[in-house]
Amino acid sequence: MIKQLSVFVENRPGSLMRVTSALTEAHINIRAVASFDTPEFGILRLVVDKPAEAKEYLTGKGFVVRIHEVIGVELKDEKGNLNRMLSILADGEINVNYIYSFVIREEKAPVMVFNTDDYDKAARVLKEAGVKMVEEADL
Amino acid sequence: MAAVKLENWVERIRDPKIECMSSDEMAALQSRRLVDVVNRVYNNVDFYHKKMKDLGVEPGDIKGIEDIGKLPFTTKEDLRDNYPFGLLAIPKKDVVRVQGTSGTTGKLTLASYSQKDVDVWGECVARCLTMAGLTDEDIIHVCYGYGLFTGGMGLDYGAKALGATAIPMSAGNTKRQMMCMEDFGSTAFACTPSYALHLAESLEEAGVVDRLKLKAGIHGAEPWTVEMRKKIESILNINCFDIYGLCEISGPGVAQDCIHHAGLHINVDYFYPEVLNPSTYEACADGETGELVFTTLAKEAMPLLRYRTKDLTSIDHSTCACGRTTPRISKFTGRTDDMKVIRGVNVFPTQVETALLGMGGAVAPHYLMIVDREDNLDVLTVMVEVDESMFSDEIRKLDALKNKIGAVLKQALGVSARVKLVEPKTIQRSEGKAVRVIDNRNLQ
Repeated sequence: MIKQLSVFVENRPGSLMRVTSALTEAHINIRAVASFDTPEFGILRLVVDKPAEAKEYLTGKGFVVRIHEVIGVELKDEKGNLNRMLSILADGEINVNYIYSFVIREEKAPVMVFNTDDYDKAARVLKEAGVKMVEEADL
Repeated sequence: MAAVKLENWVERIRDPKIECMSSDEMAALQSRRLVDVVNRVYNNVDFYHKKMKDLGVEPGDIKGIEDIGKLPFTTKEDLRDNYPFGLLAIPKKDVVRVQGTSGTTGKLTLASYSQKDVDVWGECVARCLTMAGLTDEDIIHVCYGYGLFTGGMGLDYGAKALGATAIPMSAGNTKRQMMCMEDFGSTAFACTPSYALHLAESLEEAGVVDRLKLKAGIHGAEPWTVEMRKKIESILNINCFDIYGLCEISGPGVAQDCIHHAGLHINVDYFYPEVLNPSTYEACADGETGELVFTTLAKEAMPLLRYRTKDLTSIDHSTCACGRTTPRISKFTGRTDDMKVIRGVNVFPTQVETALLGMGGAVAPHYLMIVDREDNLDVLTVMVEVDESMFSDEIRKLDALKNKIGAVLKQALGVSARVKLVEPKTIQRSEGKAVRVIDNRNLQ
């Protein structure tokens, strides 16, 4: 299980940049990023190397931040591998609320991040199928 | 850190002879003072001499307070027309100071004071401070602005009359306010309610609330709600009081509520209140809402007859649980100036505040109303700050919250409002009077 930051941002020029520039100041590395928007506001979701420090720094800068647990799954960069993982989850009747991928990490395998309501079950199903999950130390 | 519960409250009354006077004795005192002030303005102020002549009223027609309805009104426009010194009833050399209000349009409204006027002002504020449980042992942190605005000087004069220690902080520089409040051991602070909330939140964030000696907050100069008072009281663990006044009449200290919070006690020996129906100018019955009109009974430099405040309120002449007999005006719903007519419905910012604070902590009480006109239709947008307790990671939950705020506002205001969720601390915090409404309609 890894931790994800969710940051409330208004939908206007520069609002995402204000988050990333704050993280740069705090020497935080961003591992994955995804944004979800409505016409007026959005939620920026991030996986970073030091989530607790990142939250504290962003909160100090006036952002609203929440930390959620998400699952990060390592995939081999081969055709059909994402489909294979989603099949495992579908067979296990795990609902995926949303999914996004890591930014490219040098020599490492790609990682997909997803959110579900039942982490324990999802983790168990993936483990039984032999899928490698990413832990915080791997970030 | 010492809020006092009602059952443990020890009521202090600075001038029981006046503040607990029987209504007959008070009427006799007011009558003597009214006859005197009418003679002074008739003989010394051209404006009133002419106004009374036009109405066919002679000073001799005014025999007592019951004749007040025969006198002419005074409006803010009259003050502007006679700016700056046209309404003086004393020689200019006897004016010891002036105070003013900027207002939103045009020139200043200027008020002049004799030495006695300043002393009366301080005495009235001292009565209010006593009503808030303060004595000559207290340290009063005044973070109202010092200057032409009456807030700073008014509280300063009041603290002086009480014999308390005044700390003349003036407005702004929240960090320094916090430092001084802690270092000097301030036991009370005075400022606008919106700044009080900002300061309270800043003190809470800095984690210094437990180190403070505060027990009371004196707040006024803008309308605020009971919910807002409770919020400030709970953050700082103090008792807060609503002080009212206006520069034209003297400044803060015209009225204030006591620990029972059952209306604001008016210092009626100096300021005679009428609550009038704004269209017929007939007196409202107790409990009926109308425009508050004041006559200054003892003012020397710039006495005003029947000054229309544009503040809407109702009056209660019954004796209060605190023991005072001075009549009470209800907490202000707003000024006729602040009221916005949106799609034909009267809307006050305080209604938005009450609705948001009534959502049980789900929403921060920082808001801004924006009124636009699109396709000849009024559109009200209410910007609400998102804070950590209400923020969800899921768009659908934020949308649901937005819809819920919209429904609560529609219920409270009677018109629908667009809700816009904005980032924390993006709605400007005021250090004086908060801006709660921006009206972009150009109706000219």
